[in-house]
Amino acid sequence: MLDFTEASLKKVLTRYNVALEKAMTPEEAAEELYPKDELIYPIAKAIFEGEEDDVIEGLQAAIDAGKDPIALIDDALMVGMGVVTRLYDEGVIFLPNVMMSADAMLAGIEFCKENSQVAPVTKGTVVCHVAEGDVHDIGKNIVTALLRANGYNVVDLGRDVPVDEVLAAVAEHNPIMVTGTALMTTTMYAFKEVNDKLLEKGYKIPFACGGGAVNQDFVSQYELGIYGEEAADAPKIADAIVAGTTDIAALREKFHKH
Amino acid sequence: MAAKRYTSMAYASADEMTFGVSKYPVKAGLGLEIGAGYTIPEVNYAPRPEAGASKEKLIREYERITTDIMSRMVQVGFPAVILETEHVQQMSNNPSWGAEVAHAQKTIMEEYHDEYGIKCALRHTIGDIRENRDFLQLRGDKYSVFLEAFEECAKAGADLLSVESMGGKEVFDYAVLRNDIAGILYSIGCLGSIDMELIWSDIAAIAKKTGTVAAGDTDCAQANTAMFIGGGLLDKNLAHTLAIIARAISAPRSLVAYECGAQGPGKDCGYENVIVKAITGMPMTQEGKTSTCAHSDVMGNLIMQCCDCWSNESVEYHGEFGGTTVQCWAESLAYDCALMNTALETKNDKVLRDLLMLSDRYRDPQAYVLAYDNAYRVGEAIVKDGENIYLRAKNAAIECCNIVSEGAAGKLELSRFEAKALADAKAALEALPDDMDKFMDDCLTKYQSEVKVFLPENYGF
Repeated sequence: MLDFTEASLKKVLTRYNVALEKAMTPEEAAEELYPKDELIYPIAKAIFEGEEDDVIEGLQAAIDAGKDPIALIDDALMVGMGVVTRLYDEGVIFLPNVMMSADAMLAGIEFCKENSQVAPVTKGTVVCHVAEGDVHDIGKNIVTALLRANGYNVVDLGRDVPVDEVLAAVAEHNPIMVTGTALMTTTMYAFKEVNDKLLEKGYKIPFACGGGAVNQDFVSQYELGIYGEEAADAPKIADAIVAGTTDIAALREKFHKH
Repeated sequence: MAAKRYTSMAYASADEMTFGVSKYPVKAGLGLEIGAGYTIPEVNYAPRPEAGASKEKLIREYERITTDIMSRMVQVGFPAVILETEHVQQMSNNPSWGAEVAHAQKTIMEEYHDEYGIKCALRHTIGDIRENRDFLQLRGDKYSVFLEAFEECAKAGADLLSVESMGGKEVFDYAVLRNDIAGILYSIGCLGSIDMELIWSDIAAIAKKTGTVAAGDTDCAQANTAMFIGGGLLDKNLAHTLAIIARAISAPRSLVAYECGAQGPGKDCGYENVIVKAITGMPMTQEGKTSTCAHSDVMGNLIMQCCDCWSNESVEYHGEFGGTTVQCWAESLAYDCALMNTALETKNDKVLRDLLMLSDRYRDPQAYVLAYDNAYRVGEAIVKDGENIYLRAKNAAIECCNIVSEGAAGKLELSRFEAKALADAKAALEALPDDMDKFMDDCLTKYQSEVKVFLPENYGF
């Protein structure tokens, strides 16, 4: 069988991911970012490791030591999740790590809520849905996990969501943003309807869209549309909105890559 | 019919395999013999979204598409073509729509065949409509409509019947985002195979009744999801070493179609088809560098190595500088086939096969395992326990790990992240039981608890 020499192979292809890999392991990088507080550190580390039982154990220890359960959401759970999302953004860890950490964080938030009479405050609410007629929801599931991981309250409407249901959720929850995902060209046209009905009812809120066959040209055709090429763009768009950039043109300028 | 399991390889060695030649060629359509010594372009397309507004608009759109492709094939002098129509949901949910599209397309193809003698066939890929908003509904009310769509299209002119079925996807989507190798094995290897046996027994019976060809399935819903999430070299969503394990596990799952009476050509986006061909000897469609209109991959040349039909996956119908999209992509596919057919006629087929394979062999672990020699080894691991859907899927996964490890000891470069994901997956696989019943029971308990949308009754449990 034909084969390359080592030298000839390099003239045909380059595995850039190997060439550019960071020197530090994910665990070493995380260790540098954990808070030093001896009650918070084990919770943050358990979040990074995606160990739900250890998260609960750490929270219980912190509550027993007098920490406020609701304060622990921001001071411990979100801090741990911040380590995870930062290392994901820097390319040190991969998505499954984020998903497992998000599961552990959500379990931790539930535990904190069960141990308090006070409702936690989030960075804002985002309404997420998969276009009407489309049942492909893995992209939406990634988006919702990443938004929650970044401190947002997510109203997850699921898949194949009728346009009017999106409108009803917007009316009920007053979100900072709506997201829509679709795999197929034939279903993504529902986004235009969502856009038109939002405008009709006077909701001028950013509508972040992405997925399978969805592209920037298409999303740019309707007034509220902002194209997200990656699921990881969703929390970044939300962060920009929370930071004060609510103008659609400005958001497009920032997030449209093509 | 019950599945007749493969327990041996169709080819005595990997080197016997090449493009355009299969052990069991398939006669189909208007004068075509697939896998009989020549490769055939298989053109795939999607209507413009607005065409779905009514049945009449949709039929007219497919008439334009069909005429465009057939005329370009004749204009540039290509002897054969297959058209693949992947149903938009309206065509499968309303079987008469799909049937009328098939009839309209076939009428045009017959005109070209009669006038110019061009050999051609029409594949219809029925949409897997067996789901509702909240759950997969694999054995529910929609099953009869699903089967009716196959039968009506077959009666109306479709020559090759396919589907991209989704059994196991609800568990897979959960597992793949959590590096859960047992869940990937359970969803594709076990749940997927169970559903495949149900549907392909029925599809093969419809093909027999209508004088058409039960062509094959693809694990698009799962292995391709893993490949797409894995993305390019710099994407950080899934280790490519895990994506190729999912692919290896998909081979025994897609094999089930042929065990239930399918004859090929297997469907284009089944990158596992090279393994399936090694086991069955049946012709396969593949896609790679010519499917960049639909998605990127890291093995665009390599995957052409043993194809019988060569596809572009899908392209939306609209205008380009060089004609409509279907004309441009059909012409590209057909030129590739002309090159492969020239290699076959001049007895240079193995040289071209090896050039295609080698150009991508070390590009990625996914490419490395699907190189025909390694794919053959995965096939051998599958047929070793061919009667047991769990063990053969597990064997495929373990052999895949072994192949990547061996490659990494040589010229296949892995990042530390990919190497760790591989080592973790291998350890997880080695910890799994040998007993299928125990594995199935454990997984049923676990995923019923963790995956809200998993309904065991979809699989007859």
